[in-house]
Amino acid sequence: MFGFLKQVGDYSREAAAAARGITQGLAVTFDHMRRRPVTVQYPYEKLIPSERYRGRIHFEFDKCIACEVCVRVCPINLPVVDWVMNKETRKKQLKNYSIDFGVCIFCGNCVEYCPTNCLSMTEEYELAAFDRHSLNFDNVALGRLPT
Amino acid sequence: MIPPEPLRLPFATLPSGNLDLAGEFQAVLQGWGLSPGLAHALWLPLPMLLVLAAAVVGVLASVWMERKVSAAVQQRIGPEYAGPLGILQPLADGLKLLVKEDVIPARADSLLFTLGPVLVLAPVILSWLIVPFGQNLLISNVGVGIFLWIALSSIQPIGLLMSGYSSNNKYALLGGLRAAAQSISYEVPLALAVLAVVMLSNSLSTVEIVQQQNSAGLLSWNIWRQPVGFLVFWICVIAECERAPFDLPEAEEELVAGYQTEYAGMKFALFYLGSYINLVLSGLLVAVLYLGGWGFPLPVEWLASVLHQPLSSPLVQVVTASVGIVTTVLKAFLLVFFAILLRWTTPRVRIDQLLDFGWKFLLPIALVNLLLTAALKLVFPTIFGG
Repeated sequence: MFGFLKQVGDYSREAAAAARGITQGLAVTFDHMRRRPVTVQYPYEKLIPSERYRGRIHFEFDKCIACEVCVRVCPINLPVVDWVMNKETRKKQLKNYSIDFGVCIFCGNCVEYCPTNCLSMTEEYELAAFDRHSLNFDNVALGRLPT
Repeated sequence: MIPPEPLRLPFATLPSGNLDLAGEFQAVLQGWGLSPGLAHALWLPLPMLLVLAAAVVGVLASVWMERKVSAAVQQRIGPEYAGPLGILQPLADGLKLLVKEDVIPARADSLLFTLGPVLVLAPVILSWLIVPFGQNLLISNVGVGIFLWIALSSIQPIGLLMSGYSSNNKYALLGGLRAAAQSISYEVPLALAVLAVVMLSNSLSTVEIVQQQNSAGLLSWNIWRQPVGFLVFWICVIAECERAPFDLPEAEEELVAGYQTEYAGMKFALFYLGSYINLVLSGLLVAVLYLGGWGFPLPVEWLASVLHQPLSSPLVQVVTASVGIVTTVLKAFLLVFFAILLRWTTPRVRIDQLLDFGWKFLLPIALVNLLLTAALKLVFPTIFGG
């Protein structure tokens, strides 16, 4: 008899606890309705990339001494440094420089190790292209100001 | 068909009888030399079309509300480009489904496959017959009223089972079986909860159920006399609509889309329409049974006497009727909103939990509630409708 009553009591206590839980849940969802949406509507709104964001690499042709450190620290030796030895000044003269962003993993090693700081990271991230060869940026393209 | 002697016409007389749309309309037609029967027959489709249009608009509104509210709950924006605030999104969805290819799976039973969605939708639409928006603002004040709705809603599982079986798909079959099991088990406590209300008002007619709740405005609503019945009814109605947390016939994680899996285009749209018409209808019926239907929280007669307006003046009649429609719709949509909020709050129950809950919890509670109501009716006949 009392065992049955205890069962009834436990059952109704469980039911009350469940009802309280659902009420609390409803309060949470109701409260969420007055919060602002976190959506960023991408093509119309854009987030500002964080500080130290690793975007497209910018290159300053005149600062480069063609030391090829960037090639050595690159995981896949990606930068192509085209130079000739100038016999009179006994210095390397840079002819062309290019990085293929279709292959680059944006690790930033080249930027970190460049002795003259001619390489730098930009906040540019919209690099999509229809042709992968157009992602192979030469020194002119690398020297453009980030959009 | 010749109407019986005391003309219970749709949209007929309001209490003191100045506003008689049906009578006026038929009088005009008879003035053109038509027979009374023909005039009546010409009048009949008008309220039906009106209510059908209202149901469709209600579906569009509730779909929009569902999408906006669920977006807000998840801190998203929701539809916003189709019309202002995305208000035309359901219309765009419907149009897309309308022009979509109608696929019947290769080894499906095409007759049952086509009949299924129709059998799901038709009883739901038919149930709008008994929804009152005002004293006489309903298609037909059937004597068996609310019982008609219960009877009609038990046709639905047949359609669900049909479409689940005929799709020749294991997910669809499982979904159909679950839907049938769920509908049948939750119909029992639902009917018992309705029975308690019927006991209070001594009538099955929806109009009389509302009328006996409107003696003192807010205070005389059935929810105060039937709090347990209200909860049981609300839970059962959500289960009948197959909405979360009872949406396991279409549990997308396990059953793809349940019995709707193989449906596309207009047949899918019928299911979609059916589920939302059912949702709005459920909201309306909860409002009618427990929240005083078209009754304004303050009694309209009292308001009219405070404003020194005679109840019989045409202005008061029109205002009362519109206030009635607006309050009914508001109450229903408040409940729909609550159902939507519930959908994004509660996790889905398992099938065994669902059946346990229906048979071992709701059914005994509904039975006790019914017996308690009967006892209280005998003890306090003035309060509990002797």
